[in-house]
Amino acid sequence: MAYLINPEDQDLLDSVREFCEKEIKEQCKEYDVSGEWPAEIYAKAAELGYNGLEVPEEYGGLGLERITVAAIMEEFAKADAGFVTTITASNLALKAVLIGGNEEQKQRCCDLLMEGNHGAFCLTEPMAGSDAGNSKTTAVRDGDEYVLNGRKCFITNGGVASFYVVTAMTDKSQGVKGMSAFLVEAGTPGLSTGNHENKMGIRTSNTCDVVLEDCRVPASALMGAEGEGYKIAMKTLDMSRTWVGCGAVGIAQRAIDEAVAYGKQRVTFGKPILKNQGLQFMIADMEIRVETARQMVAHALKLMDAGLPYARESAIAKCYAGDIAVQNALDAIQILGGYGYSREYPVEKLLRDAKIFQIYEGTNQIQRMVIGKSVIGKF
Amino acid sequence: MELLVCIKQVPDDSVSVSLGADGAPKLDEIAPVVNAFDTYALEMAARFKEAHGGSVTVLTIGGDATVPALRSCLSVGADHAYKLAEESVCDTQGIAYLLSKASAKAGEQPFDVIFCGSESTDASSGQVGAQLAEILGIPVVTNVLAVEPREGGVTLKQETEEGYRVVEAPCPCVVTIVKPNYEPRYPSIKSKMAARKMPIGDLTAAGVEADAAQFGPEAAKVRRVAISAPPQRQSGVKIQEKEAAEAVRRAMEMLAGQKLI
Repeated sequence: MAYLINPEDQDLLDSVREFCEKEIKEQCKEYDVSGEWPAEIYAKAAELGYNGLEVPEEYGGLGLERITVAAIMEEFAKADAGFVTTITASNLALKAVLIGGNEEQKQRCCDLLMEGNHGAFCLTEPMAGSDAGNSKTTAVRDGDEYVLNGRKCFITNGGVASFYVVTAMTDKSQGVKGMSAFLVEAGTPGLSTGNHENKMGIRTSNTCDVVLEDCRVPASALMGAEGEGYKIAMKTLDMSRTWVGCGAVGIAQRAIDEAVAYGKQRVTFGKPILKNQGLQFMIADMEIRVETARQMVAHALKLMDAGLPYARESAIAKCYAGDIAVQNALDAIQILGGYGYSREYPVEKLLRDAKIFQIYEGTNQIQRMVIGKSVIGKF
Repeated sequence: MELLVCIKQVPDDSVSVSLGADGAPKLDEIAPVVNAFDTYALEMAARFKEAHGGSVTVLTIGGDATVPALRSCLSVGADHAYKLAEESVCDTQGIAYLLSKASAKAGEQPFDVIFCGSESTDASSGQVGAQLAEILGIPVVTNVLAVEPREGGVTLKQETEEGYRVVEAPCPCVVTIVKPNYEPRYPSIKSKMAARKMPIGDLTAAGVEADAAQFGPEAAKVRRVAISAPPQRQSGVKIQEKEAAEAVRRAMEMLAGQKLI
C-alpha cells in the first residue's frame, strides 16, 4: 500500500519512478563508492523540476499536494537515500525562509529552487548539535550590515548551495532568545566551505563545514526580527522531520523489495527461501513496520494540510521511520545472508544510509524527548 | 516546418508477454506505453521544432485508452494531439489509410514532414510509414537517424548496414525513424502537469471523410490467422563425467554426432 495520492498525480509518480530507475539507482552505486557528489545526476533532476517540488504555488511553484510530494520523495529515497537527502535539505532551508523570512526573501529562495539550485540550513555547530542553543556563531550589527563569524558543521548541501539559512547569536546573554537567522547567498565574501565529509552512508549528498569569517551581510538578510532565530529553526525542524521520515520509509521499502526479489529466486534445500514460514514472517514484520511508518508520515502531512498542530506527530514519524529503516535494512541483509553483507549486493548500503535517519534533524533521543514531553505536559 | 508524428500505444516491451488459455496475448496487467520507435520519432521532431521553429502534432488511431499515451507525448514536446477512434480497422493498410485522412484534419496541417517509428515493438510489421506515403503520393525515407531542413525539403541520414547515407527529399514527405544516438527526454513535473490541461482532438472516420470500404475488415489485405509463443528453448546437455579427458571425449562425440565437426 502506497500513499493514497490524487489519481491525476499518478502519472507524475510514474515518470519520477522511471527517472529513478534509469538515472539514479544504478549510477549511484559508483558514487557510493567514490563519495563524489553526482553533479550530472542532480543537474538532470533539476531540469525536471525536482528541486522545486515544495515551492508554494503563490511563489511560482507547481502547487503539488504534500502527499504527492511525499510519494515522489519515497521514490527518490528508494533509488538512493543520498539523493533524497539533497532534495530534502534544500527544502529544509526553504521551510525556514517560508516560516521566518519576508516576502522578498521567500520569493528569492523559491526562484532559486525553481531554477534548479540548492539550499542549505546551517544550524549545527561542532559543540551545538541537539543542543542548538549552545551556538557560538555570532552576528554583530555594524551600521546597515551584520558581521557573521563562526563555524557550522555537518551542513547538507554546504558545498553546493546557492543560498544558506544561517543561525547566529545576536545577543549571547539572552541564550536561545538571542539567536537570529540570516539568509546568506552563495558567493558572499567571508562565507566558505570546508572539506566534504567522508560519510558512512548517504554518500551522494554533500556534507561539509560552512565557515563564516567576517562575513558581511546587509541588515535586510535578517529573517524576522533579532532573537527569532531559534524559534524559526525549531518550527522548521518540527515540519521537516516528517519529510525525513518519508525518506526513511523509502529505504525501508527498498529493503523489502530487495529481500523479496532475492528470496524468491534463492533456493536452499530444494526450494526458494521465501517458501519458509520463518522468512515469510520476517517479510511480514518488515511490511508492518514500513506501512505503519508511511501512514504516520501521511498523518503528519494531513495535520499540516489541515492547519492543526503536528509537532508530536512529525517527531513520531521521523523517529519511528528512522528506527524501522535501520531494522528493515538489517533484516534484508539477514535474508540475503552472506550476499547481503557483500558490497556486490545493494542491501548493505541501505543499512549505512538508514543509520543517519536516526541521527540527523534531531537524534531519535531528542525526538523521544519531544514526544514524551508533549504527552506528559508540564507538572 | 509543421511536423506530424504518428504514434502507437503498445504493451510495455520490457515485460515478457504470455498467451492466455484462449490463445490471445495476456496484456491486462502490462502497462501501455508509447511505442519506443515513436518516442524516438517524437524526440527528433521536437528537437527539429526547437531548432528550426514550427509545431509538432501527434496522431494515433485508437479510443480513450490512448489518452495517457497522447498526454505523455504532450509532456515531451508535442504541441497538439489527436486520436481517431475506429475499432473496425484491422490491418496496417487500413491504419495507414485512416492516418492519411486524419493528417488532413489534425493540428497545423498541411504537414511538411510526417514522422513514423520504423516499426512497433508489438506487431513489428514496419509497414505503416511506407503505406502512408504511398496513399498520400509523397516520398518516403525509411530508417532515418537525423533530419535537417534544406530549401524546399529535408536532408536525412538513413541508416545502412555499414553506417548511414545522406539523402534529400522534397516536402511533404514521410520519414520512418530508427534509434538515434540520444534518448528521448524525460517529462518535467511542470510539463506533465501542463499536458493534463491541453486538449486532445477527437476525430472520427466519418469526420475525416474516410471510406469504410478502404479500411474495414473487407478491405484488409492481411489477415492474422494465429498467434503463437516462441518455442521454449530446449535445456542443454550436461556433461558430468568425473575426469576431464572423459568429459572432452564425450563432448567431441556429441559434436561429431551432430556433424558439427
